[in-house]
Amino acid sequence: MDSATWCLRPGQTLQYREWDGECVLYNDLSGATHLLGGAALELLLALRRGAATLASLAHVLHAEFDIDAADLAGETDALLRHLQRLDLVDMRAC
Amino acid sequence: MLTAASPTVASLTVASLNRTALATRLAGPGLLVQTGPFVSRIRSSIGHVAEGIELLYGDYPLLAEDSFADFHVGLQPSGGLRRWYKPQVNFDLDGLVPFEPLPEAHAFPMLEWGLNWCISTRAHSWLMIHAAVVERDGCAAILPAPPGSGKSTLCAALVHRGWRLLSDELALLRPDDGLLVPVARPVSLKNRSIDVIRAYVPEAVLSRPVSNTTKGTVAHLKAPADSVARVRETARPAWIVFPKYEAGAATTMTPLTRTDTFFRVAGNAFNYSEMGARGFTTLAGTIERCAGYDFRYSDLDEAIAGFAALEPPP
Repeated sequence: MDSATWCLRPGQTLQYREWDGECVLYNDLSGATHLLGGAALELLLALRRGAATLASLAHVLHAEFDIDAADLAGETDALLRHLQRLDLVDMRAC
Repeated sequence: MLTAASPTVASLTVASLNRTALATRLAGPGLLVQTGPFVSRIRSSIGHVAEGIELLYGDYPLLAEDSFADFHVGLQPSGGLRRWYKPQVNFDLDGLVPFEPLPEAHAFPMLEWGLNWCISTRAHSWLMIHAAVVERDGCAAILPAPPGSGKSTLCAALVHRGWRLLSDELALLRPDDGLLVPVARPVSLKNRSIDVIRAYVPEAVLSRPVSNTTKGTVAHLKAPADSVARVRETARPAWIVFPKYEAGAATTMTPLTRTDTFFRVAGNAFNYSEMGARGFTTLAGTIERCAGYDFRYSDLDEAIAGFAALEPPP
């Protein structure tokens, strides 16, 4: 799925507060409140700017966090799939 | 809910009714009692209810019989043989009976529990947290806690040592400005707390203890007259303190992170989920204005000193 792009799930407005390196985020679709780490928030903010590929999102994380290059794509993908299960993001096949 | 001052009978209070007049009004058109933003019309022919209201609600404004009421509640004896054999009481709201009947001797605690239920299931204009709220010098402390934590005992002690009572049970946070709206009513004390407060505040007025309730033995402490008189004064939340009584424990006030405080308060809220995004922004704003603490205590004097030492957050 290299050609897939990720985007915010429509309806999510990303209401959040960042305290002490943690993010508390309100999920507009499920009504749940999530405690997220800094990397997850970074991905969501990147997707708020527009849909993006896994590679570009991995690049965003690499610029902000100390993640081993060998693990970067796998960790970014795992994080996106976690956010997908929370109905925060969607994957679109192109 | 009430948005403007309700007409009072020439600024009289409930105490202006003698026992006979009070019982007649309760048994007839109902007594209208204003507690903070809520007006309740209470109807009951049961002597325990009149006794409790006479003892604990004397300082509240006496509203005209034709005033608007948010809640129309009744506490009436069960019919049939129950009238004569182990009499029971039913609580009703607008004619609906949401609870199983209780022994008639439990009528006054049932009124208090029922009024709490009316607010907590209907007052969704506010973010409601199961918490005591006290205020001093314009800064309020929210004390969320489950039953058995010593919340009400601590609250009762604080309001007799210089703090104003906003509520023993319900923190009402106004979404528009984040201020706390008082709903000062009697403080519910249970089991050992009753004697603890009797000893700590000898001048306190308490209702007759009622034993064998679902919460054990309960008694209600009269709200200080000053707190009742200032019930329209909102307060700025400054501290969120999770109290926990532990026999023999040293007094400790341990700072909490904002995220920890947020989720623990949300867990004690009645309607956080129902309020959706408005609940989130209201609670998040409150967390950012407050300092959060875990508070362990076993000695009330030390606990009072611990609260006196709280510094308003910047």
